Formats: sequence, C-alpha cells, structure tokens
Amino acid sequence: MKIVIVGNSVAAVNAIEAIRDRDKISSITVVSDENYRAYSHPLLPNLVIGEVSRSEERFYYRRTGFYEDNKIKTILGKKVTKLDVQGKLVELDNGEKLEYDKLLLACGGKPVKPPIDGFDLKGVHTLTNIKSADKLRRDLKNISHCVVVGGGLIGSKVAEKLAKKGIKVTLVELMRRVLFPVLDDIGADYIHKELKRLGITLVLNDSVSALDGDERVGQVILKSGKKIDADGVVVAVGVAPNIDLAKDANLDVDRGVVVNDFMQTSNENVYAAGDVAQAYDIVMGLKRPIPILPLAARQGRIAGLNMLGAGVKYKGGFPMNSITIGQTSFISAGIVDSEELEVLSIKKGNEYRKFLVDEDNKLKGMILVNNVEKAGMFNWMIQNRFDVSWIKDAFLNSDFGWKYFNKAFRVLRLDRKIK
Amino acid sequence: MRIVKIREDNCIFCHLCEVACIVEHSQSKDIIKAFKREERPIARCTVEFNYPISLSIMCRHCDDAPCIEACQNGSMHRDERGYVVVNPQTCVGCWMCIMACPYGVIKRDTRREKWGLSTKCDLCPDRVIPACVEACPNEALTFEEL
Repeated sequence: MKIVIVGNSVAAVNAIEAIRDRDKISSITVVSDENYRAYSHPLLPNLVIGEVSRSEERFYYRRTGFYEDNKIKTILGKKVTKLDVQGKLVELDNGEKLEYDKLLLACGGKPVKPPIDGFDLKGVHTLTNIKSADKLRRDLKNISHCVVVGGGLIGSKVAEKLAKKGIKVTLVELMRRVLFPVLDDIGADYIHKELKRLGITLVLNDSVSALDGDERVGQVILKSGKKIDADGVVVAVGVAPNIDLAKDANLDVDRGVVVNDFMQTSNENVYAAGDVAQAYDIVMGLKRPIPILPLAARQGRIAGLNMLGAGVKYKGGFPMNSITIGQTSFISAGIVDSEELEVLSIKKGNEYRKFLVDEDNKLKGMILVNNVEKAGMFNWMIQNRFDVSWIKDAFLNSDFGWKYFNKAFRVLRLDRKIK
Repeated sequence: MRIVKIREDNCIFCHLCEVACIVEHSQSKDIIKAFKREERPIARCTVEFNYPISLSIMCRHCDDAPCIEACQNGSMHRDERGYVVVNPQTCVGCWMCIMACPYGVIKRDTRREKWGLSTKCDLCPDRVIPACVEACPNEALTFEEL
C-alpha cells in the first residue's frame, strides 16, 4: 500500500508510529513545506530568545534517525499544491505527482492575519514555525519596544520571553483578560500580576487598527485611538486550520477539515488529524478544531491505525492546556467559565482551584493554579464522563488524591482493571 | 509485564517505600549520604493517608500511556523493558505529562531547574525487584503481573 502524509509534525509522526507498529512493508511518504524534521512547536518562544537552540536534541519531537529507522521517504521543503481525490494523487509545487492509496492530511494551521494595514512592514512578525521564529530572532537586535498583539498562549509566552530578554513589551488583548478561553477572571489575574512583575504593559479590551511606519514599523495604532511607539510587533491572534487543499478537492470542510469518528474525511481514502482536523469535542458535544498537541498525537495515531483498516474510534477530545508564566503555573481543561454549570472554587494564597460540573454530575472543566500535580485525574473524569456526585466535595482539598475515592473503585483503577 | 501491585490493606503508613525510592535514585545510593550530604531526589512513590486507609501510589505504566502522547518532544517514552520513563536530559518541564496522567503520579523535580522537570517511577532499571517493593515490610507493595 502507498501511504502519503501531508505535514510533518505531531499528528504525522504519531501516524507513522502507529502504522509501522503493525505494517513494516507499505511505503510511507511524508511531504512538508518545512525543511526540518519534526520539532516541538511549544518551544518556539524559547528558541527566539536562545533558551534552546536548533542543535539541541530536546528541540525535536523525535530523536535523530526516526525517519530512516521507520523507512520513511521524506520530501521536505515542497508544498502540496493540489489534491486529486478521483485520481488519488497529490501534486507538489515542483510539478512532481505522488500517487496514494491512503492519504493523511496533517498540515496543521497557519497564523491568522488580522485585516489591518501595515502587516507587510519590516519588524512585524508571527510565531508559528521555525522560519518565523528565526526571522524574529535575527530581528531582536533591532527591537527595543515590542508590541505583542494577542494575549493567547503564544502571545503571553512570547511576551514573557521577550521581557526576560530585556525588551520593553506591551501586550494588547481584545478581551478583558489574557488567555481568555483557558482561564477565568480570577485565574487570569494571577497571570496579569506575573506579566506586570516582568515589566510588561498590559492593554486589555483593545485591539490594533493599523501599523504605521515607512519601511519599518514605528507606531502601533489601537482601536481606542491610543498610539504606541514600537519598533517590533508580534502578531499572535490565533491559528486557523490549513483547509485550502481539502476545500479545493471538494472535501467536507467547515472551520477545519471535518472528520468522522475514524478520522476519515468525506472521501474514504483521505484522513485528517491534528490542528487541521475538525473532530468531536466531548465537552461541548459538537465537532470543532481543537489545536492542541496531545489531541494531534491521539488523532494521528488513530488515523494511522484506521488507514490500515483497524477500525479504531476516536472518542472525542477537549481543550486542555498547561503553561507557566513567570512563577505561576496552571493547567486548565474543558469549559472554564460558565453561568449554567455548577461551580466549585476556592482561592487560598497562590493556589486557585475551580471545577465546573453539569446537572448530570459530569465534570465539564477545571482550572488548577500552582498546585497542578493531580490535574490528569480530573482530565480522566472529564474524558470518561465520570459521575462525580460522590467525590466532588473533595475536589477543593489541596491534597486531593486517591485517598478520597471509594475503596472498591480505587483498587480496580490502580490495578488497571478500569481504563 | 510486571508492575508494582498496591495492596492497601497491608499498608502501615511507614513511608519506607519513599525512603527506599529516594536512596535508589540518589547519586551514591547510600541512605546517609542521600539524606544528609547530597541533593535529595524526590520519591517517585507517594504515601497517601486518610484514616483509616493508607496506600503508596506510583506509575501504573499504562499500555496506551497518555503522558507519552502529551509529551511535546519525545522525552516521555517507552524503554526497552516496556516501561514508561522520562529522559531528564531532554525534558523541558512543560507539565503536559502531568496534565495527561490519569493517575496523577508524575512529580516535579526542582533540583536542576527551578520550575521542575518531570520525574516518575522508572521501575528501578538497575534492580531486579524495585526498591520500594523490597523495602515494604508488610507486602503492601508487590512486584507482579497485573
């Protein structure tokens, strides 16, 4: 069988591992427009300020020799320009054509470009791949005051790193708090304090209307009319799935490439996984893209197995994030702010715990700030739609753990009898 | 594959498993040096107590380990014995494994980096029987097929 994988990151690598676990013979070809082996995207802000370098093994997603050991043909630095689902082939930008029996779209996302003037000026950056990180790193010497647009995961992290490097940073966020979808007001307050402690100026409830300057950016003009003098801008307002290829091939596309429970697109020979895919969200009860690394890995593995006909179902995922800004770490998952759900929360000193439970006593989301070590136990409850009626009272204890569970359940779980 | 079976009815809350784990993962593997001279490693097993129950908990070495799936750079991996271990040389301390671990047994080792690197039970690669099992005086931890 001929397998072609478009993209070369988390979903692609996990698909390769799943396929090679069962099938050593089929040919696997990986095509990616990036010229590197799979690397760790969350480390890009660290790469920008030189905390990690590209010569270090820990920057990469798998160790050297991964592709050779798994007998993978790699076509790097080439873009797939066309997908022909009838002829079962993909066309590359150098005119080369690749036939496939099964195709995996794992081409990830691209940075959202807000519709503002001055986006092409020098000194305006995004940060979603090595190329953009290198461009920003080389430009750091020209930047004394940087405006970071967007206080999401990438935005907050890059603001923190630039401030550590001694650059004056202003963070502009459209909503009333940073990290809007992954924290509530109380949780975000911890991060606001950390950002301010690092010397970062926070501008909330505002957005950028234009970037001004001749050749190089010199001023950032906000919707509120405020003007900020800056010689560097990092735009991090989100990532959108790379759907063009699938859309042009008339596959079922919404915000992402829509897949069924088997990670299969509307064409039976084409699968999609990772940031590009729109798969089931078990907390919201609908299909939507959730661009996070653990789900890309899981979807990639399941897509790989199903390309071999294993018939493994994707049970659905939900957003979960773990970040450290300054000295504050937090892990949050699922729905973090809601009027309809029952909320259990406690704030004591630098610790904050919050849990959201629906009327069926199913855990729907949680936030843990600064005491995160048991986070995965809650995520297990969310994933498995566990009835928490008899244990939720213990959630707010800082020492929450196995000792609070019912004995019979605990013994079965720890003996791995209940998955 | 053998892992550490937890028999909570036998646990007497003595913490000897934690002591043995610390010694085994210390530089010298000597109890006095490990506790008094060297930077003390953290125990990879944790004894929990909630009267009248107590038990020691450590990694269950899942077949489809969510921590491996969540790791951003392949530091969390399966070794040649089939057990789930973390490579401290490449771990960056992002806590994605903690976020994913359904048993809550991954800890933060703050010795090398102040924010802490992932630390977990490695089922003592240098030993035949894990140190915690050998140290347990009442067979509350046994090493067997599950």
